Amino acid sequence: MIIKKKLSKNKPNIFTKLFLYLMLFSGALLSLFPFYWMFVIATNPNHVVNRVPPAMLPGEHLVINFKNVLETIPFFGALYNSFLVSTTVTVSVLFLSSLAGYAFAKLRFKGKNVLFVFILVTMMIPSQLGLIPSYVIITKLGWISDLRALIVPGMVSAFGIFWMRQYIKEAIPDELVEAAKIDGCSQLRIYWTIVVPLILPAFATLGIITYMGVWNDFMWPLVVLKDESVHTIQVAVRLLNDAYVRDYGMIMSGTFWATVPLVVIFLVFNKFFIESLTKGAVK
Amino acid sequence: MPEIQTKNNTTKVLKMPYFTERKKESLTGYLYISPFFILFTIFSIFPIFFSFYLAFHRWNGLGEMQYVGWRNFKLILDDPMFWKSISNTFIMALMGTLPQLIVAFLLAYALNSSIVRFKNFFRISIFMPNVTSIVAVAIVFGTIYTNSETGIMNVVLSYFNISPINWGSNEWGLKVAISTMVFWRWVGYNTIIYLAGMQSIPNELYEAAKIDGASLWQQIRYITLPLMKPVIIFTVFVSTIGSLQLFTEPLVFLGRTMREEGITMVLYLYREAFMNNAFGTASASAVILFFIIIIISVINLLVANRLGK
Amino acid sequence: MFAKKSLYSILLIFILLVAGCSSKEKTNSESDSDSDSDGNIELVVWTFGSTGYEKFLDEYKKIKPNVTIRFQNADLADHHNNLFTAISAGSGAPDIAMIEAGYIDQYREAEDKFENLYDLGAKDIQSNYLDWTWANAESADKSFLFGIPTDIGPTVMYYRTDVFEEAGLPTDPEEVHALTSTWDDFRKVANQVKEKTGKPMTDNVNLIYYSIRDQSPETYFNREDELIIDNSPYIKNAYDYSIQLINDGVVGKISMWTPEWGTAMNDGSFGVMLAPSWMQNVIKGNAPDAAGKWSITHLPEGAGNWGGSYLGIPSQTKHADEAYAFVSWLLSPENQLKSFTEEGLFPSTPSVYSNPAFTNFSDEYFSGVNTAKLFSEAAEQVKSAYTGPGYAIANTEIGTALENVNTEGKDPEKEWKDALDRITRQLERR
Repeated sequence: MIIKKKLSKNKPNIFTKLFLYLMLFSGALLSLFPFYWMFVIATNPNHVVNRVPPAMLPGEHLVINFKNVLETIPFFGALYNSFLVSTTVTVSVLFLSSLAGYAFAKLRFKGKNVLFVFILVTMMIPSQLGLIPSYVIITKLGWISDLRALIVPGMVSAFGIFWMRQYIKEAIPDELVEAAKIDGCSQLRIYWTIVVPLILPAFATLGIITYMGVWNDFMWPLVVLKDESVHTIQVAVRLLNDAYVRDYGMIMSGTFWATVPLVVIFLVFNKFFIESLTKGAVK
Repeated sequence: MPEIQTKNNTTKVLKMPYFTERKKESLTGYLYISPFFILFTIFSIFPIFFSFYLAFHRWNGLGEMQYVGWRNFKLILDDPMFWKSISNTFIMALMGTLPQLIVAFLLAYALNSSIVRFKNFFRISIFMPNVTSIVAVAIVFGTIYTNSETGIMNVVLSYFNISPINWGSNEWGLKVAISTMVFWRWVGYNTIIYLAGMQSIPNELYEAAKIDGASLWQQIRYITLPLMKPVIIFTVFVSTIGSLQLFTEPLVFLGRTMREEGITMVLYLYREAFMNNAFGTASASAVILFFIIIIISVINLLVANRLGK
Repeated sequence: MFAKKSLYSILLIFILLVAGCSSKEKTNSESDSDSDSDGNIELVVWTFGSTGYEKFLDEYKKIKPNVTIRFQNADLADHHNNLFTAISAGSGAPDIAMIEAGYIDQYREAEDKFENLYDLGAKDIQSNYLDWTWANAESADKSFLFGIPTDIGPTVMYYRTDVFEEAGLPTDPEEVHALTSTWDDFRKVANQVKEKTGKPMTDNVNLIYYSIRDQSPETYFNREDELIIDNSPYIKNAYDYSIQLINDGVVGKISMWTPEWGTAMNDGSFGVMLAPSWMQNVIKGNAPDAAGKWSITHLPEGAGNWGGSYLGIPSQTKHADEAYAFVSWLLSPENQLKSFTEEGLFPSTPSVYSNPAFTNFSDEYFSGVNTAKLFSEAAEQVKSAYTGPGYAIANTEIGTALENVNTEGKDPEKEWKDALDRITRQLERR
């Protein structure tokens, strides 16, 4: 408390402040503009997307375009599927990555470094080529047009393990783990009561990133989900493209409204973790 | 913390006769990392071996496979387009990644700084591009980078007395367009990774430094950068791998023409496999790409280690 | 102890995750293309774009009560990638698949992956269909048929009446066609348009090239699948003619499918567009302000074809006969007429062209031209040219060469040689 009072007297440089604000403001503006523009197209008839110079104001086709979307694809069913897949995968990735990350960061076992390097190496393989053999595996499992084809391979993530290991290594002092061990805490208990509370920011970050990644993935879902009843929202939105003729107003409307739930989830998730973060920040 | 201690007092330590502490610990370690290896073996090992196998065969995806030895590698290394794709990938990786990480770091620093307000708003808006689907990004950027003189980007250039650029076919125009697409979509992602890292740095350190009269730059140089080392290594590593595997952005921007000015390594192998149905050469280029990534990553880690010392 | 406990909890979570979401979808994946004990059959059909075929289901149920048809729809490019993956993997393909004309070539070497429709009785209905579109789905020796044509895309010349008026040219379709009946005449008119209005004759170079290419009796390959660009005159002629127009300065630099392309259609910043029948919806969608300013006439020296699709039967199916029965019923002349009036799919069966419901179809947007009649006249002029498995590769590279000359001002002869080099490189790998 005393420190804080002293600080407020020690006023920050006005130029620093100006610079920071300018940077953040232009960053936010450039990031948000394309969203506004998406909305503009989503509320206009098709030909407006081609207007040069581009249209800058929302039009009157908000309802019409979205109605067209609902007539063309099972929008809400697809949202539900996306929600189901993204949530399951995210929960699983958070749990399994933090367990593995903890093991790599704090536990001693033979071959640890080799195995970790192996995980890093797996990230370097371009996945585009495994498509046909992967498809063979999924057909053998009988998972074509089955959400398990998305969920099960996505349950672990090399990236997630890497991220968690780096974070746990830095955020949790070895002494803390050692002390708990000497006190006779089981490993699962150490993980649950010591590690998890201290890595909430890492959870938030990885959770958001994983959720977005799964939600927006379309290459693999396109290949394995054939039936309309199991389409995720990305696959469904692709169906708004007609063979030769494209209604951009409708496509953007579908894309825009498919993004909105994600933004909401992001906001909720973000707020929840930021709060838990500030509460537990008195280290 | 106090909660744990009270619980520990009541926990009874049972020594197991045939499990030493050390053995228990390594067993737990293996157990914790096993889900990854189990699922990875099922869903990835087979496809990987399959592509190594294919690299030595000639296969159009439909007929019989035919063993051809090193022929596929010779064909590729002899193809100017392949070398073009490598140089494109490196140029775009540099243009897209380096500025992106620096800007992300600065943005994260600003977001973590105590003197800035409306942090939530800024954080959310800056991360927002990562939420969008690539379909939307393609349409939006397709309109920004049009060849027409009245396209947004060409109008901006005209303010600086630069004549309009054919973004769809010009050597550097294409690269700039694709790089900015990557930059826009991923800068927020790296910002929140940096932010998460910065939040694990205790505020007291900065406050103490401020009392000692340290400037903003000194704070970054002596507190933030050293403590952020693992996170920075992480992002450099991941971004390097990511940009060497750059695929979706050029794919949607180039469309089916795959012009050589914008073709990347993964796009090259994708074209070989799924447009030309030449799975042998596609696999061979995947193998080469795999080794390029390993070499770059090792250099990456060595440099990082050197800097850390 | 703790090890066991955590093992159990991990296992439990695994099971929950896997089982939790499988109950609903189970039925779909298991029942795919299987028949049950009552002889009920389900046929899975993969389509792309809006075909409107779902509307025929009730009617077919009355004819064949024991057959259930399930349509699974995807985007054009995705659909063809998925189909290739499934056929290549050897499992997971549908009973019936729609294949766009541009994609059928890649399967020519894989006759074992498809049912030969001639064995299923397709010879009997062959006379209903246009010869050239039928021939495009045959193997090189004409003994194997991959698919039955669903629709076609005959090419015509769309032109702006206001631009023609400004250039001092007639605007009536008959008169315009008389003025541009040969490609040499077309070049003269192009130069006149450029001189009088300052506007380019065409939007881009590709559409000129495609039009001449599609009028040729042979293109990139002969029936032995040898590359013949170097010794066959047709492709080189199409290339050289396109280059001539570029040198005359009458070719625009507006690439297809870009925003400025749509704008140019609306504003009339070029004179003509040489394009297939389905382009009328593209024009209407992009240029709502130009109603009555666009008109249509025949191309110089006859028509070509771009687009259209086929329905084929992958040999993974267990119900080839039932699948064929459905395909031949769905694509009969009567049903194609319905597809035309409801979805605008242009029929591949010429008997429809004389049907009054068809011939009375005129369009005010295109200056009141009797569009159906015009397109059907074009359809009957199309000649069949063999394409071959490497068609897409060759076509893409020549297109790139033309675009490099047009937009980047590169040397046409060098571009031609480079394109040939790239084509041969890519072909030797397959």
